[in-house]
Parts: sequence; C-alpha cells; structure tokens
Amino acid sequence: MFLNLLFIASAILTILGAVLVLTTKNIMHSCVFLLTSLIGIAGLYATLGADFVAVTQVMVYVGGVVILMLFAVMLTGGKDFVSKAQNLLGLAPTMGNAFTYVMASFVGVVFILTNIQLIKRLGEFSKLKNNGSFVSTVNELGMLLVKDHILAFEISSVLLLGALVGAAIIARPRKQ
Amino acid sequence: MISLASYLIISIILFVIGLMVMIARKNIVAILLGIELILNAAALNFVAYSKFVTNNLDGHIFALFIIVVAAAEAAVGLAIVIRFFQLKETIHIDEATQLRN
Repeated sequence: MFLNLLFIASAILTILGAVLVLTTKNIMHSCVFLLTSLIGIAGLYATLGADFVAVTQVMVYVGGVVILMLFAVMLTGGKDFVSKAQNLLGLAPTMGNAFTYVMASFVGVVFILTNIQLIKRLGEFSKLKNNGSFVSTVNELGMLLVKDHILAFEISSVLLLGALVGAAIIARPRKQ
Repeated sequence: MISLASYLIISIILFVIGLMVMIARKNIVAILLGIELILNAAALNFVAYSKFVTNNLDGHIFALFIIVVAAAEAAVGLAIVIRFFQLKETIHIDEATQLRN
C-alpha cells in the first residue's frame, strides 16, 4: 500500500517536473522543476529497493548538479531565447536544413520501430512483479565496487580529477 | 501495478521530454538540463531491469557510474558555457558557429 502510494507520487512528480522543464519560459524556474523531477526519480529508486542509489541521487543531483546549473544561470543572465533562423518564407522560426530533417525523420522511424517492439512485449513485462523483499544494498554494493568493479571505480576517480582540472582551466578568466 | 512495464513507460516519457528540451530550447543551459533528463531515464532503466530481471546489483553499479559521469559532464559543460559567455556575451545556441565548416 505504502509502496503503491510512493510509486504514484514519485511518478507524478517525475513526469510533471519534466514537462514543466520543457514548457516553462523562465530558465531559473526550469532548473527548480528539474530538481523536483530528480527528487521524483530518487523516489522511484526507493520503490525499486535501491536505497544507496536513491541517496546518491539526492546528494549528487539535488545537492550538486542543480546548484551548479543555478550558478551558471545566474552568471550568464538567465534569458530564454527563440530561434534566430528563419524558414524559406520567413514566416516562422525554424532550425536546420533539409539534411537535418532527413536525418531526424530517419531517427524518428527507428525510434517508432523500437518502441513498437517494446509495446508488443509490454504484457510480458507487466507480469514481472516486484517481489516486495527489501534488504539493504549498501554492504553488497561496497564489496562489488572494490572487488568486481575496481577498475571502473579507479577510472571514474581519474575522470573526476580530469573534469575538475579541465573545468577550472576552461572557465578561468583570461587577460588579453 | 508496480511492474517493469510502468518503469519502462516512465523512462521513455522522460527520454522523449529530454530530447524535446534539447531540440526546442535555445539556451545552452537548458540544453544541459535536457541531457540530465536523458541520463536519468537511462539510469532508471538500469535499476528497474536489475530489480525485475537479473536480480543482482550490477544495474545499481551502472546507475552510480552514470551519476558520476553526469556530474563530471555538468561541471565541464557549465565551464564551457561560462567561457562562451565571456567571449560572446550571450549563450544563444545559434551564436555557437565558430567551428562551422
């Protein structure tokens, strides 16, 4: 019962936040709606029994990435823009050229075909129920990270160091 | 009600909305928000499959690494945005034409 309630609340929060990110004109409000969407995804992780991933999601995204986004918005003015390119008749803003539209329709066809495959198997997927047994995953995740996935763990630390140094070098103020 | 299908549907809705944000918005920061939505849709799929199909924790590990890579990507992307703003005084995506041709 509580699980169903949490699932419904998280799903509504996630989808509504994402739709509002798309439709809100003010970029600052978009960042705040992204935050609600990410909290909803953390709730969905909780309904899946992934406690450590849910907590990491809240700490890294809500505490880090969204704050970084808000700082970037504040440093760059925070305006929302419309497209500057015009179509052939000059009536409405457009984007891309003929090649872009050909590629986009190709991608759309592939997307629809893969989703037809997904929807065909939807009945089969909905038979897979949550077995409702929730145990703490922290201990096992820690052992997996330092045993089986130690190489990926070390590579991600090097990646984070490189990203930090790269971000500091790219964004530093330069004198002409 | 809580089945694999419902998680897959939520994930695909998130993915499509992220794609639409990336295409429709003209602010570079808004495009980064769309990338975050798409990465989260992928991570949600990994965790859902690891709960319902494989019954081990490899999907959780994958989701954790997706979160790490998304954080690094956001840091570097926002540094590029701020540098772009210093050079061009705007962050309209149509102004980013220096590497064209």
